[in-house]
Amino acid sequence: MASLANKINSKSPKNIPAEGFTVKAAMKNSKVKPPPISGAYKEKSSVPTKFRKYYERGDFPVSIEHDAKGNKIAWKVEIEKLDYHHYLPLFFEGLCETQHPYDFLARQGIHDMLEHGGAKVLPVIPQLIIPIKHALNTRNRKVICTTLKALLHLVESGDLVGEALVPYYRQILPMLNAFKNSNLNIGDGIDYGQQKRENIGDLINETLEELEKRGGSDAYINIKYMVPTYESCVQN
Amino acid sequence: MCHIAYRFQLAGYRDEIEYCSVGDNSEVERWPESGFVKKLQRKKDGYFYYFNRSRECADKDLFKIKLFEY
Repeated sequence: MASLANKINSKSPKNIPAEGFTVKAAMKNSKVKPPPISGAYKEKSSVPTKFRKYYERGDFPVSIEHDAKGNKIAWKVEIEKLDYHHYLPLFFEGLCETQHPYDFLARQGIHDMLEHGGAKVLPVIPQLIIPIKHALNTRNRKVICTTLKALLHLVESGDLVGEALVPYYRQILPMLNAFKNSNLNIGDGIDYGQQKRENIGDLINETLEELEKRGGSDAYINIKYMVPTYESCVQN
Repeated sequence: MCHIAYRFQLAGYRDEIEYCSVGDNSEVERWPESGFVKKLQRKKDGYFYYFNRSRECADKDLFKIKLFEY
């Protein structure tokens, strides 16, 4: 009988995969599976944006010019006469795009509108938060880079813009907190691509510093709340 | 000088004199701090070009530029 029991035991499979915290996991011959990957840094699949739809429909008063220096936008109407409440959020929505010409158009359109907008930018800020949040949430490194540069330009485009952004840190900063340490650690080596400003960790630090400098007295404490590892560039 | 010539010629004009003589462009919009051209209306279709505060040509390439005078 004993030999039969041994035979049965030797035939029973060992290391049966089992989910954690189940009855099966408590069995001697089971092996508990490791927890699944959370996917916190996994790129999200992008859906076609409204920006793309509007561009293909010919709603934007712009045309792309290809010249020796690179591409450029020609505006069919003067930027000063544009309705910022309509166009600027649409261009910011285009930040999620990674395909040409949509990505270039969105980037350049935002640049021109912020550069020449003056006081017209400030009232539009509440409408820009959702597109910025969506762009950062894609977790696509290229998109995050472009969005951070756009955010930097936005903060610098007017005197009160930085302060107007403070109530929206809760929407914008979580992704900055997640990618803050995404840096290139090469010891004493030279990062030859540093002039391209594509290092996300550095860009995030630069953006946070600019937000703090231009965000008024409440900026630092609000940034610190969302990004605990951030150290002030003004107080220290 | 080079960026001024570049910007006018990109818009289809030879220089500032020609730009001011065509259409209703009596004056060129410039950036207040640097005096660089800010906005030009294109000659062929009337579209608008907006230029940056800074020069298009990087400082390291400045010595390579040839500027022709008429």
